[in-house]
Amino acid sequence: MRLIRTRKLPLALAMLLAGVYVLLPIVAATEFSLRQPAKGDHGFDNYAWFMSDPDFGKYLGISFGLAAYSAIILLVVLVPTVVWLNLNGAKFRPFVEFISLMPLVIPVVALAIGAQTALPEFAQTDETVLAYMFAVLALPYAYRTMDTGLRSVPLRTLVEAARGLGAGWIRTILLVIIPVVRGSVLNALFMTLALSLGEFTLTSLLHWDTFTTWVTTMSQSNILGAIALSMFSLGAVFALLLGVGLFVRHPKSNVVSEEE
Amino acid sequence: MTSSTLSLKGVTRRFKETLALDSIDLHVNQGELVALLGPSGCGKTTALRIIAGLDRPDSGHVSVGGVDISSLAPNKRNMGMVFQSYSLFPNMTAVENVAFGLEMRFVKRRERQLRAQELLAMVGLPNHAKRYPHQLSGGQQQRVALARALAFEPDVLLLDEPLSALDAQVRSNLRDEIRRLQLETGTTTIFVTHDQEEAMAMSDRVAVMNHGKIAQIAAPAELYHFPADAFVAGFVGQMNRIPAQITGDKMRILNSLVDYRPANILGTEVVALVRPENLLVELPKGARGVANAIVESKTFLGAITKVSLRVSDSLSLLAAMPGLQSTGFETGTPVSVKIQDGTYLAVEA
Repeated sequence: MRLIRTRKLPLALAMLLAGVYVLLPIVAATEFSLRQPAKGDHGFDNYAWFMSDPDFGKYLGISFGLAAYSAIILLVVLVPTVVWLNLNGAKFRPFVEFISLMPLVIPVVALAIGAQTALPEFAQTDETVLAYMFAVLALPYAYRTMDTGLRSVPLRTLVEAARGLGAGWIRTILLVIIPVVRGSVLNALFMTLALSLGEFTLTSLLHWDTFTTWVTTMSQSNILGAIALSMFSLGAVFALLLGVGLFVRHPKSNVVSEEE
Repeated sequence: MTSSTLSLKGVTRRFKETLALDSIDLHVNQGELVALLGPSGCGKTTALRIIAGLDRPDSGHVSVGGVDISSLAPNKRNMGMVFQSYSLFPNMTAVENVAFGLEMRFVKRRERQLRAQELLAMVGLPNHAKRYPHQLSGGQQQRVALARALAFEPDVLLLDEPLSALDAQVRSNLRDEIRRLQLETGTTTIFVTHDQEEAMAMSDRVAVMNHGKIAQIAAPAELYHFPADAFVAGFVGQMNRIPAQITGDKMRILNSLVDYRPANILGTEVVALVRPENLLVELPKGARGVANAIVESKTFLGAITKVSLRVSDSLSLLAAMPGLQSTGFETGTPVSVKIQDGTYLAVEA
């Protein structure tokens, strides 16, 4: 018993340190964002300040809309590609990986100017154009998340098993492929949503306004309000992460029974 | 039971430059279990995939019960398959997995639940119905996969090395269980394996494959005692290769004259293939006894003991004898080695 306690001590210490490292700045920033210097106490004045701004809802809506749109674009392109790579297209994997790395290699400035030049004018009439670029920026992360998830399941064998058991292609896709890839797809979706919601450089370079550019503008006039806004953004993304996490949770705990 | 005869006629499959199957002919009787045995790359899994419809032959035909199914999609073939890797659907419980094939055949919910429970009981897992695959051990997963493959009463059961991922004890239990179920259901079965012991223990007949061809197909005992060629002899069981001379209608091995079966030999200098248990090893008796070998090592295996012998610098032999008779054959002991009377395969030197 003592031995177990001794062994667990370094782990507990490491977790405590990691917890302090992550939580301390958040706790400090939260405390700071709740300060009300005029009244000399703590409250939600700084949160009320940005929430009462008429642009708050507008830009938040734009950002969530763009994030959802970019996630849909990416999933429509990526899900069939990654499923195909894991079923029959393994020899094309290096090529797809190379393409997926491009957004990390090409500077955002070049991407912004390139897209502005290459895209037809009718596609650049509103901020929807950003969704296409967010999808490109999220590609390396979303592709890897999805591919790693799919590689961990023997998708090809499962599909062959379903076919052998009498399932046609439609039922194989509905009953086997979609449930199996669901977790990986939702994780990729989260990556895309998180990246899209926080993207600033490209948006700013192309002179569009979203929640992130609005936050930057607002923070220049009220430092406490800016911190409150940051905490709000952090909370929103955390809630999103939690939501996706709960949604992809496996139906049962991971208990392996005794061998026969 | 709906199981049927299975026939392959002139089935050929080529992958770029590699000829995976070279005009294979195979006939499996109703209710028979035939093992496809061979080293990696011999074409056994390709043959199984072609039977299942997961791969298409370049030429040749596959038929079940006399009906050509070569052009049918896998979901139209009514074949159950158990894969080498765990292939249970992770999003379904054990009972849902077993019922999957019945659901695809539009069997009513109540009926398929009952049948799935019955099959789970048959494979010894009646209390695991509600468990997900990740809550089952490897052996249990393969049992569920077996139940799933049998639930809809397939015409043919295909087993693609289903035991290779399991540890020795589970493997041995499941091996017996598969054979019991196969006999009980009378399902025509093809069993792919590279493990000769598995093939010999479970099958009615074994087809030994090499370079995309069936080198020999026979009952296990016939295969062991009368191998068709040097490859089969070497692949099935252990075999000594001893230089020998043809003299008339006899063959001289280690100063013993025995009968022989020729396998593509040209001259009189040949190699005789002799099983370890066909070597007679004795301690030289009296002053006139002649020793022609020295014991190099001895391995006690319970019922039998294996003794390694050095006859000359270029010739070592392996002999097998009943465990209790091996007393006195210690390392370094001079012994006399002879060949039992019988007929031995002679191959080109």
